[in-house]
Amino acid sequence: MMRFVQDDSGNVAATFFPVEIDLLRLAVSQLIDLLDAAASHALGASADPAVRRLLPDAYHDDAAAAAEFRRFTADGLIDRKEANARILLASLGDEDYLGDDADASTRGGARDDLPPVTVLLDETAVQSWLRTLTDLRLTLAERLEISPDGVQHLTGDEAPFLANVYEWLGMVQESLVHAIDV
Amino acid sequence: MSLPSPLPDLRDAPLLERPWVTVVWDDPVNLMSYVAYVFRSYFGIAAEEAERLMLQVHNNGRAVVAVGNREEMERHVEALHDYGLWATLSRAEE
Repeated sequence: MMRFVQDDSGNVAATFFPVEIDLLRLAVSQLIDLLDAAASHALGASADPAVRRLLPDAYHDDAAAAAEFRRFTADGLIDRKEANARILLASLGDEDYLGDDADASTRGGARDDLPPVTVLLDETAVQSWLRTLTDLRLTLAERLEISPDGVQHLTGDEAPFLANVYEWLGMVQESLVHAIDV
Repeated sequence: MSLPSPLPDLRDAPLLERPWVTVVWDDPVNLMSYVAYVFRSYFGIAAEEAERLMLQVHNNGRAVVAVGNREEMERHVEALHDYGLWATLSRAEE
């Protein structure tokens, strides 16, 4: 992935390798599945720690008030998170990368015989990306069992891959924040 | 003889209430740059103030980012949950 750059109109663009586009699609699709599952029992706090982090208690020491707040806000929060995720998916374009980027042949870095994909984001899409990248990283951090001190406790075969994805998503988000934070 | 109408409950009088606060808690996930960006863009505060609040969250584990009535604080908390920040509301400490 090349860093996000903002143009004069306020839009930002970055190029991604096709494999990165695939990875984003996969991760965001799983986030949508998680949100769909959460929506089915939004009235109560979810047992899934990732959902609990996406929809945290609004009251630290008042369970009744927290439940009341959740009753009024959870559906809307889930809907908006899902809408953001779908906007991110839409901005990744179609399955067929080859037709999407007319300038691809003039850029270096092509991998697996496929040209890099340019992703162009308007202001709305930027906001959706920022929030969805955050939701993805919050979810992955729960899967990686990252403790409050930032240490990862998940071990096993899939841990290195998940940790790489987590780091990469952080890099993408840092780049996006930097591009619009002027 | 009719029953006396109940006396007003002074605890409900807004002037006597402590205000509510919105608190943002530190978490190991959210990027410092993003947290500062959220404070700046959502609350419309200057970059320096946003940076100061972000560092307060980072260094102290939490920071009060807004003070007001309960409804306002609930709106802030919901908006901050949209951003993925860990926010709560509570009565201001005395």
